[in-house]
Amino acid sequence: MTTPLLKLSGLGIRFGGLVALDAVDLTVAPSTITCIIGPNGAGKSTLFNLITGIYRPTSGTVALQGDPITGLPAHRIAARGIARTFQSSRLFEDLSILDNVIIGMHGRTRTDVLTALLRPAKSRRELEACAAEAETILRGISDELFARRYQPAGILPQADRRRLEIARALASHPKLILLDEPSSGMDDRDTAALMADIRRVMADNPGLSFLIIEHDMRLVAELPDNVVVIDYGKKIAEGDFATVRQLPRVQQAYLGQKAVEHA
Amino acid sequence: MESLILQHLLNWLVLGSIYALVALGFSLLFGLLNVIHFSHGDVSMIAPFVALGSLQAIFGITGGAMGVLPILAALAIAILVTGLIGIGADKLVISRFRRSPAMMALVATVALGTVIRELIRGFYPQGSNPKAFPAIAQGFLEIGPLRLPAQPVLIVGTTVLVVALMYGLMQKTPIGTRIRAVAEDAATARLMGITPSRIFAFTFFLASAAGALGALFFASHAGVVRFDFGVQLGLIGFSAAVIGGLGSMTGAILGALAIAGIESIVQANIADGASYRLVFAFLLVILMLCLRPSGLLGKPVFEKV
Amino acid sequence: MSTTLTNIHSRTTLPASLIVAATEIGGAILLGAFLLAESTPLVVALLAVMGALFAAMQYRPQIEEVIVAAFHDARGLATALAVAIVLIYPFFLGGNTYALHLLIVSLLYSVLALALNFQLGSANIPNFATGATYGIGAYTSALLAIHLGWSFWATLPAAAIVATVFGFLLGIPSMRTRDSYLALVTIAFGIVIHQMLNNLSWTGGPNGLVGIPAPSLLGHSFMRPIELFGFRLPSQANFYYLSAALLGLAILSAKRLHESRVGLAWNAIRADELAAKCQGINVVWYKILAFGVDAFLAAFAGTIYAFYISYISPDNFTFLVSVTIMTMVIVGGMDNTLGVILGAFLLTMLPEKLRVFSDYRLLFVSVVVILFLILRPKGLFPQRQRHYGGQR
Ligand SMILES: Nc1ncnc2c1ncn2[C@@H]1O[C@H](COP(=O)(O)OP(=O)(O)OP(=O)(O)O)[C@@H](O)[C@H]1O
Ligand SMILES: [Mg+2]
Repeated sequence: MTTPLLKLSGLGIRFGGLVALDAVDLTVAPSTITCIIGPNGAGKSTLFNLITGIYRPTSGTVALQGDPITGLPAHRIAARGIARTFQSSRLFEDLSILDNVIIGMHGRTRTDVLTALLRPAKSRRELEACAAEAETILRGISDELFARRYQPAGILPQADRRRLEIARALASHPKLILLDEPSSGMDDRDTAALMADIRRVMADNPGLSFLIIEHDMRLVAELPDNVVVIDYGKKIAEGDFATVRQLPRVQQAYLGQKAVEHA
Repeated sequence: MESLILQHLLNWLVLGSIYALVALGFSLLFGLLNVIHFSHGDVSMIAPFVALGSLQAIFGITGGAMGVLPILAALAIAILVTGLIGIGADKLVISRFRRSPAMMALVATVALGTVIRELIRGFYPQGSNPKAFPAIAQGFLEIGPLRLPAQPVLIVGTTVLVVALMYGLMQKTPIGTRIRAVAEDAATARLMGITPSRIFAFTFFLASAAGALGALFFASHAGVVRFDFGVQLGLIGFSAAVIGGLGSMTGAILGALAIAGIESIVQANIADGASYRLVFAFLLVILMLCLRPSGLLGKPVFEKV
Repeated sequence: MSTTLTNIHSRTTLPASLIVAATEIGGAILLGAFLLAESTPLVVALLAVMGALFAAMQYRPQIEEVIVAAFHDARGLATALAVAIVLIYPFFLGGNTYALHLLIVSLLYSVLALALNFQLGSANIPNFATGATYGIGAYTSALLAIHLGWSFWATLPAAAIVATVFGFLLGIPSMRTRDSYLALVTIAFGIVIHQMLNNLSWTGGPNGLVGIPAPSLLGHSFMRPIELFGFRLPSQANFYYLSAALLGLAILSAKRLHESRVGLAWNAIRADELAAKCQGINVVWYKILAFGVDAFLAAFAGTIYAFYISYISPDNFTFLVSVTIMTMVIVGGMDNTLGVILGAFLLTMLPEKLRVFSDYRLLFVSVVVILFLILRPKGLFPQRQRHYGGQR
């Protein structure tokens, strides 16, 4: 068996008294899509924050292709090949759409201050190459975004913001992309396009895997190879969607949620 | 020997009281608005000038010994006027930066501070000269075996009282609850029928009045006041609030005592200490912030990601 | 928006070179008139002209777009003409040493403001200690020159290195503190430096250092007038050219860093620090770097200032100096080189030119700053988007 792309063992974190995530084990194989579902406040985004180094786990380990990355600073983890989007999108609002994508390439470009100051041609060439690639990425994601590439990212509507975040994530040539509720704020057509995009990107980049937090059950039913259910910080189920959704404890987790929402 | 220690102790408490009164204003306003009101020191320093002006205008007193009543009246007028000027500063300038980046509000209030200083310098009679400021209490108090100078005791005592009142106000009264509600979440507070603009006005009054009292004490403790004293007082008050943890009243007081402590110790123990007291005070600030980035009692901010 | 841009382009009938020449020469004439204006009504009238120009730009943003487009299309001409204007400028000031002095100080403050802009404008890091690093540069070079007899040219890099070390030191707390807390660290640092300069004996205490020897280049002492083609420029002209060269260097550095991965990383940190981290940006390092770059440039300015005035004291490097530099950046326009320079020129010259209002000029300038922040919050010239591939 090949080494898994991502392996979480006993991963957990507590905020004061609150155990937000408790001993989660998870393995992601290369070239796969894993969906994470669970009620609000279950700890899904927290899991992403632990993997990407935003939070330091209080227990457990994270390994990328067998190398431990637990507790590394966020920028080092990003440079190792994990890219992500955020639940409430975090774009560089006042920068152009194109610059947003180019910044995604930071981890694999090299110009430092001295190069920029003393060898401007080299620095410029690197940036121009990035710009050209960023345009290709944008065009692949959406013609609309490409056409507006010199406008500030802050003016984009919700669905486009999600797309741009994905484009920025792709720009780093990651091995693993984490998407936090990518379809929120999208209508049916947008969501269908999103799924098509994800499949196309997978086809274009052999080995690339996705870890996706989703609430839209159509997407969860169609897209992933593997579904993981989290409730109250614990992994309560894992498998393909058809199996997982039959499990009583999963239904309970969601029904509890619905009952609360209806109350 | 003993009296020397006592003297240093009193000096520490007096400085601590003055700084605390100014720091409380920074903390209150930051807690409420997330804005640093950099002209707070200059606004506060208006008070001694108002006091001097009213002593002269109302009682015709220009110096020398004077009764208790004129002094009390002058202090009260000064505090009231300064509080109102605080509201004016907000309405005219600070409120316009509620939605701007923090740095803009900072620069705007720095400029506002200059405006205030220059107004005093230009329009107060001989405004650029230092002005003698009367002591608010003279003589000594005999407490048991101790013989204490009256003014420091008065300053410390009044400060303790005022601080206690402010705590009571914030914790126990409806207006305090409302201030805390707006500080927590202005939008929700508005839904609950609270008018944030009124809360802002009240808090600016409170902060400026407390600062005014601090500045008045400062002036009578030093015996002199000048148009630009507010810069340093503001910087120290701000530092106290920050090392205590912005937004925390208790933190502001602890910070004030810490800075005053360093100053007193340096002044008492190092030859030439007086000239280095600011160096040590601000080195303490740097050290504190490196060790505890959100101050002594400040809550570390967690971003929801 | 992109369509309107092309529209403007096709609608402009004037050739780019003409627009460039008109803008640069017009700007130079306006500046000259302002520098030489003696009477208050004239100063006020010139200010009104400037105000009108900015009002026009506020209501017709296309004007700015057209000019920027022209400068882009005729880059070579723009640079050549600018250099030429800078070179011949002193000849038009008719030996007015006060005007030259104002120009030198404005140029040095432009450098300081550009230095701060790397932090404040590019990366949104508050730094209230630019005045202190400026002072460290000035004192380092002055001490080396007075006590060890170093020449100006040798002290220049030495001062820059010393100040940069201090800059990095100052940057270290930025690893853990942010925003208001970081602002206070820099304020405290500035005050500590100022107080030390004020109290130490070897820095001359409050009296500062006197008798800093004038620099010389190829046997030409900077104390002496420049004589060229039968023209005679006052000795200040030496320092004018030196400061202009430094500003040129600062502009070039700003441009190169802005148009590189480094500038992008700073901008990313400004917009969203956490998201920047997740793009692989080492936020701590880039912040410290910004402090270092700021100190490096500020030290150059400090060295030139020390040798120009030949006398420095702690009062040249106070907290309020730092605040003034900060105001220049914000009033001029964060992360816009031209805006920052304009902000520096205006805020240096305005108080000087308003000397008639003697007692009220600082008041006036502060009121203007507040009004500015309210009315044109993005500064005289707001930041602009980068363009790639020869596009605009
Ligand atoms: N920095 C933090 N400090 C304290 N508590 C936190 C922090 N981050 C998350 N939590 C808590 O951890 C729990 C899990 O939050 P998380 O955001 O991971 O939920 P989620 O599954 O992503 O929910 P949603 O579907 O609403 O996005 C919540 O109770 C949340 O309040
Ligand atoms: Mg979430």
